[in-house]
Amino acid sequence: MDTTLIMAKTLLKIFSRDRQAIFFTLFFPITFMVIFGIASAGGEDPIEIGIVDNASNAFSAKFVDTLEGNRLFSVNVATEEELRDKVSEGDLALALILPQDFDGDEGAADITMLVDAAQARQTAMMTPLVEQALLKIERELRGIEPLFPLTVVDVQARSQRYIDFLVPGLLALTIMQISIAGSGYNIVEFRRKGILKRLFVTPIRSSQFIGGLVLSRLVITVIQVSFLLAVAVVLLDVPVEGNVLELLGLIILGSSIFLSLGFFMGSLAKTQQAIMLLGNLITLPQIFLSGVFFSIDAMPDLLQPIARVLPLSFVVSSVREVIVNGLSVVEQIPTMAGLVLWLAASLTLAIRFFRWKEVAS
Amino acid sequence: MAIVRADELVKEYPKPGSKTERFRAVNGVSLSIEAGEIFGILGPNGAGKTTTLEMIEGLTDIDSGEAFVDGINVEKEPNKAKEIIGVQLQANEYFDHLTLAELIGLFTRLFHRAKDPRELLARVNLEDKAAAKPAALSGGQRQRFSIASALVNEPKVLFLDEPTTGLDPQAKRNVWKLVEELNSRGMTIVLTTHNMEEAEYLCGRIAIMDHGKIVAEGSPQQLIMQHAPEPPEARLHGNLEDVFLKLTGHGLRE
Repeated sequence: MDTTLIMAKTLLKIFSRDRQAIFFTLFFPITFMVIFGIASAGGEDPIEIGIVDNASNAFSAKFVDTLEGNRLFSVNVATEEELRDKVSEGDLALALILPQDFDGDEGAADITMLVDAAQARQTAMMTPLVEQALLKIERELRGIEPLFPLTVVDVQARSQRYIDFLVPGLLALTIMQISIAGSGYNIVEFRRKGILKRLFVTPIRSSQFIGGLVLSRLVITVIQVSFLLAVAVVLLDVPVEGNVLELLGLIILGSSIFLSLGFFMGSLAKTQQAIMLLGNLITLPQIFLSGVFFSIDAMPDLLQPIARVLPLSFVVSSVREVIVNGLSVVEQIPTMAGLVLWLAASLTLAIRFFRWKEVAS
Repeated sequence: MAIVRADELVKEYPKPGSKTERFRAVNGVSLSIEAGEIFGILGPNGAGKTTTLEMIEGLTDIDSGEAFVDGINVEKEPNKAKEIIGVQLQANEYFDHLTLAELIGLFTRLFHRAKDPRELLARVNLEDKAAAKPAALSGGQRQRFSIASALVNEPKVLFLDEPTTGLDPQAKRNVWKLVEELNSRGMTIVLTTHNMEEAEYLCGRIAIMDHGKIVAEGSPQQLIMQHAPEPPEARLHGNLEDVFLKLTGHGLRE
């Protein structure tokens, strides 16, 4: 244990002097946080829609006014030809064409909606919104009281902004990056330079060296992630709903998984280039698939089952539940089971394959 | 009794460019080194010198054969053996961002000893570099630092792997002086080299290795008498290196 602590202290000292490493592990997540923090400060963007007013009467003008008064929409009135182009270019979500007999008199006037069928998902989301708005306008114009007035009450204390969704994802991502770099990249570098061999000239055991490295990386990860979280809370007003100690536990658990995976990769790779490639192979798909930047639910159905079992997905999901929804870890048993399974698997691989000796080429 | 003993050491590696074939980097090497000796293992690159040393040091697995240091089987009790040997490796890179004093301190603590790093650095004339990083050292300073880090546990046997390769004559002589000084205090020294002059100057006994085997063994004098062809005429003067040293002096240029 003594030797483990000596090793951990030494590696911490080395990292604390490595300004470049400190900068780069923090730079990426902070940049993302600040950009998205500023971008989502203004709330939801209105939906851009177009209207072709073929009727040009008082009634149609009132219709346009009503839509413009709705915060959901930003209205562009133009000719059909112009709007068609804009819809197909994606500048407008949709365009409504008001017929000439759009005058509020008896007899339904057909409104045509121009959409880009390639944006099927968006169209499906938009259509009810537009229909609702039209219904509301119709009631107002005809002076009808709604039969079932609906009052919407937001159950979440505050509406979720994108930054609130993103921050837990970025924290999980940082845990992965720092951990894999800490074990994987470092171990290959130490072995290539003969530093590992130099260490094993002394009576240090493999387990003591690994223990020291793990310990030092856990400390580094906790400090870096806490710093990021503090930035998010103080500067971006991101709320932490759940228990901070549970969050700490999750950071350590997640970090342990990726440290073990890093050791495993570091044992497979002989050169810096190889470990870089291997590292990218493991981390890049997870960055995109694990729900860091957008929810796994929004992914194609075929990918979802794969995405959900990636180690980063479990870390992202558990950290997000604690921070955003204030769920305790005991309320997330399946996610916890996933984390523990990944830890067991990666630890087994790490120990099974670890080698400090360089295999002669 | 021999302080270092190797019996029929063998190390096999996969042949480069072949999946199934293997070659013997070390092919049945036996050594017996007495306490207090300076023993040299001489040979061209790729002869198996480093692999032989690393098997005795417990850094490379032994495929067959046995090695003992002061009666300790290095394969069965590697950590016990490591306590009494000092190892200087050919590659001498260290953790970035640590000073010489901090590195010596680290190695000392890994041996569970307490020692003033400055004292050890002073022994190799590096006390004024205590706060420097290894990257800032010259070749000779690096080599001396590397020897210093091998002395942290006050070893009975010191292994030096090509300690003067790449050094200028001044730095080389300086390392030789250090080796002689350590040996004069009773430390057994085992070194590899492909420098004949070094072997002749430092070593009481030499083993010449080639293709993984020892091809000759004895004192430099014995080997010269047995194997050297009669020179056409006796050389009356020193060699070019003596001239170089006479003109440029023995002072270190660092």
